[in-house]
Amino acid sequence: MSIKVRLHPILKSLAGGQEVVEVTGHTTGECLENLESRFPVIKQQIRDKRGQLRRYCEILVNSESTYPKELTATVKDGDQIDIVIFVGGG
Amino acid sequence: MLTKDDLTRYERQILYTDFGEKGQKRLKQSHVVVAGLGGLGCSASLYLTCAGIGHVTLIDCDRVELSNLNRQILHYEEDIGEGKPFSAAQKLAKLNSSIEVTPVFKKITERNAGGMIKGANLVIDGMDNFKTRFILNKACVAEGIPFIHGGVHGLFGEVTTILPGKTPCLACIFPEVPHRKASFPVFGVTPALIAILQVTEAIKLLAGFGSLLTGKMLYFNGDTMDFTFRNLAKNQNCKVCGTKEVQK
Repeated sequence: MSIKVRLHPILKSLAGGQEVVEVTGHTTGECLENLESRFPVIKQQIRDKRGQLRRYCEILVNSESTYPKELTATVKDGDQIDIVIFVGGG
Repeated sequence: MLTKDDLTRYERQILYTDFGEKGQKRLKQSHVVVAGLGGLGCSASLYLTCAGIGHVTLIDCDRVELSNLNRQILHYEEDIGEGKPFSAAQKLAKLNSSIEVTPVFKKITERNAGGMIKGANLVIDGMDNFKTRFILNKACVAEGIPFIHGGVHGLFGEVTTILPGKTPCLACIFPEVPHRKASFPVFGVTPALIAILQVTEAIKLLAGFGSLLTGKMLYFNGDTMDFTFRNLAKNQNCKVCGTKEVQK
C-alpha cells in the first residue's frame, strides 16, 4: 500500500529537498512514523517531547482535516497526506 | 463618483481592462480594516492607500520599538514610543489625502472584535500571534466579512482568502488555536511580499475581477524561491464555520 505524504514547504529541506515522500501505513500515525524513521529531523519539528503532534501542525488527508484523529485516521492506497504548519508571524 | 484628481492619480490602474473606472469606484466606496500594524499591516495599508481604498481602519495596541524597524516600514526612528496606528496613519494621510484613514489604538479581544470590524468590506490579517488571528477569523465568519489571512516566519510566508460560508476558515484547518513562542525570525522582505499578495487579493475581491486564493493556501519560501499551493477543504464539524450554528 502506497500513501503519499506531501511535506509542508518548511519541512522540504529536511527530506533532502523532496516535496512528496511515499510511505506505507494503515493510519496517518503509521505513515508519519514511517516518514520519521527515514527523516528523523522531521520528527523534532512536528512532535513535542511527549511524541504528540505540535499544536501548530495539522494533518490533512486528501485536503480534509483529520482533527481530532490526526494520528489515528485510517488511510487507503492512493491517499495523500499533507503535513500543514501554521505560520503565525506578522 | 471619481473626481478629476482620482482619474489622474489612478490612471495606470484604471487602464487595466478588467478593472477600469468601475473598479476604481468600487475601491473608493470600500472600507478595509487592517488588523495589526506590524510587518504585514504596514505594507498592506500602504498599498491599500495607494490603490485608493476609500476608508482604511488601522488597529493595533502596541507602540513602536526600535526592533520593529527592520520590517515595519511605516514607522520611523522618530516614532519610537508612538502608538502604531497613529504612526502609520500619519504617513498614509500624507501619501493619499483623498481617502479616510482611521487609527484605532486598541487590543482586539473576543468581546470587541465583532464591533471593531462591523460594516467593513474586508479585513486584512496583519496579526503577529495565533490567538488574535483566530479571534478575528471567528469574528469575520460571524459578521460575514471576507478575511485575507497572511502569516510569515523567517523567509517563509502564506496567504489565503476566506469567504465566510463559502470557503474553509482558519479553524477548519486548525481546530485548536496553535501556540508558539512569541518571538520569531523575520526579514522585512517576507511580510512585504505577503502583504502585497494580500492587497492583490483585496483589490480583486472589492473590484470584482480575477480569481482568488479561496480554498487553497499559497506558500512562499524565500530560501528556495518556491511558490506552492495546498488545497484546503471546508470542515463540516468546524467549531467556527461548520454546519453547527455559529456563535457570535
